[in-house]
Amino acid sequence: MRVVVDLDRCGGHGVCQAEAPAVFRVVDDPGGYAHVEVLLERPPEELREQAKTAERCCPNRVIAIVED
Amino acid sequence: MSTTDFDAVDYFRAAFLYPNPYPYYEYLRKHGPVWREPHRGVVMVTGYPEAVSVYRDTERFSNCNAVAGPFAAWPVPLEGDDVSDVIERHRDGLAFSDQLPTFDPPKHTAHRGLLARLITPKRLKENEEFMWRLADRQIDEILDRGECDFVAEFANPFTSLVVADLLGVPEGDREEFRQEFRSRKRRDHHPAGGTEEGMVAHKPLEFLYERFTRYVEERRRDPREDVMTGLATATFPDGSLPAVHEVALIAANLFTAGQETTVRLLGAMFQRIGERPDLQEVLRRERERIPSFVEETLRLETPLQSTFRLSRVPVTIGDLPFPAGTTVMLLPAAANRDPREFPHPDEFRLDRPNGRQHLAFGHAVHSCAGAPLARAEARVATERLLDRMRDIRISEKAHGPAGARRYEYLRTYMIRGLEYLQLDFTPA
Repeated sequence: MRVVVDLDRCGGHGVCQAEAPAVFRVVDDPGGYAHVEVLLERPPEELREQAKTAERCCPNRVIAIVED
Repeated sequence: MSTTDFDAVDYFRAAFLYPNPYPYYEYLRKHGPVWREPHRGVVMVTGYPEAVSVYRDTERFSNCNAVAGPFAAWPVPLEGDDVSDVIERHRDGLAFSDQLPTFDPPKHTAHRGLLARLITPKRLKENEEFMWRLADRQIDEILDRGECDFVAEFANPFTSLVVADLLGVPEGDREEFRQEFRSRKRRDHHPAGGTEEGMVAHKPLEFLYERFTRYVEERRRDPREDVMTGLATATFPDGSLPAVHEVALIAANLFTAGQETTVRLLGAMFQRIGERPDLQEVLRRERERIPSFVEETLRLETPLQSTFRLSRVPVTIGDLPFPAGTTVMLLPAAANRDPREFPHPDEFRLDRPNGRQHLAFGHAVHSCAGAPLARAEARVATERLLDRMRDIRISEKAHGPAGARRYEYLRTYMIRGLEYLQLDFTPA
């Protein structure tokens, strides 16, 4: 499982961080806009459910959990 | 007011509570994080994790009644173990049924995807450059007087013109937009949940809808190199072109949803700046704390106090079971003061480690599309106002002396905020 995010469309809402804090963190740009940072690009199996919830709940739908 | 007194209160008709609903929320919380109030049978969710679990669950909960809430007029009873069919047949008759917050997936996913294409991070950054210029222009108009109604003379025109720029309203038309928003008198506000009786108005702001219909038609006929053309030709995520009225509605929705709420946020921020010279001083000295100030104000003075859901099937919220067809009121304003999530929840603290985890913008797929916009507006406005005004104070003439202030709030249970805020200041 691999985490892919589309930063061009990320609004920095922080939903992913709330759902899967070990996988995602929201960081502030110098200009003040927040965006997601992936902490674990290949999260362990026990975080699968959290990561999938983050994918599903992202309001801008910028997260993809890819199986490879 | 004592607990027993609250027992007799139908919250949805209790306009006297709306200026300060927090004691009532604590009364609700005493019954547990999830409690069915007895007057209308609405399930009130004041707990943070319980609210998050409902926000997250778009399968079992519908947003069809997000605005209408207990006033949703269903022509047939909501009976049985799955009310999805009744919802689909009759949802168009509910208040604000043509607006994004009341959509469910997959329609919501498509329209939200379209909206996300209109407010990309790139577009937001261009928009911020405009915000700095606009803030100065609005300040120019009031600076020499040393006093202003901050709501009508700064927050209202500022927020509406920011959205106008974001959506690419042509320069030549902006004065008209400005007048349109400015001419709205204090008493003319009827936001969602907004009449004296707590009822909701249907399809507001015809002006915007009409305007954006025309813009979209013109740009589709005659594309130009401008932002409005981008709006007119933006497609759904599946590549299909939306109908003209669908684009016009999304644009109008961005105004109504983003303007009213952001005005109340700015009002709450500058009320606190005026009330707390010590805080004002901290923010002047340590500008990097302004974003935390914005977040903590959103948590404590949440503009959008509540939103509704309807259970499609039997559900469990917290530990409690409820049947299909239950009206659920999510109270982000109350969840933001859940002591399990925010220790000493009533205290204003700039240094909360989880200060950004409030639910003022909601959570999951329906969370506020304009959140990054609102955050930028609040930050830019605060920076420029602090730069150009010294010693910002609450007007005693308008609001009374410290310790005995009088503030008027909107008379609605869904949106909480100041009707007006008279400030005194010294030009810098």
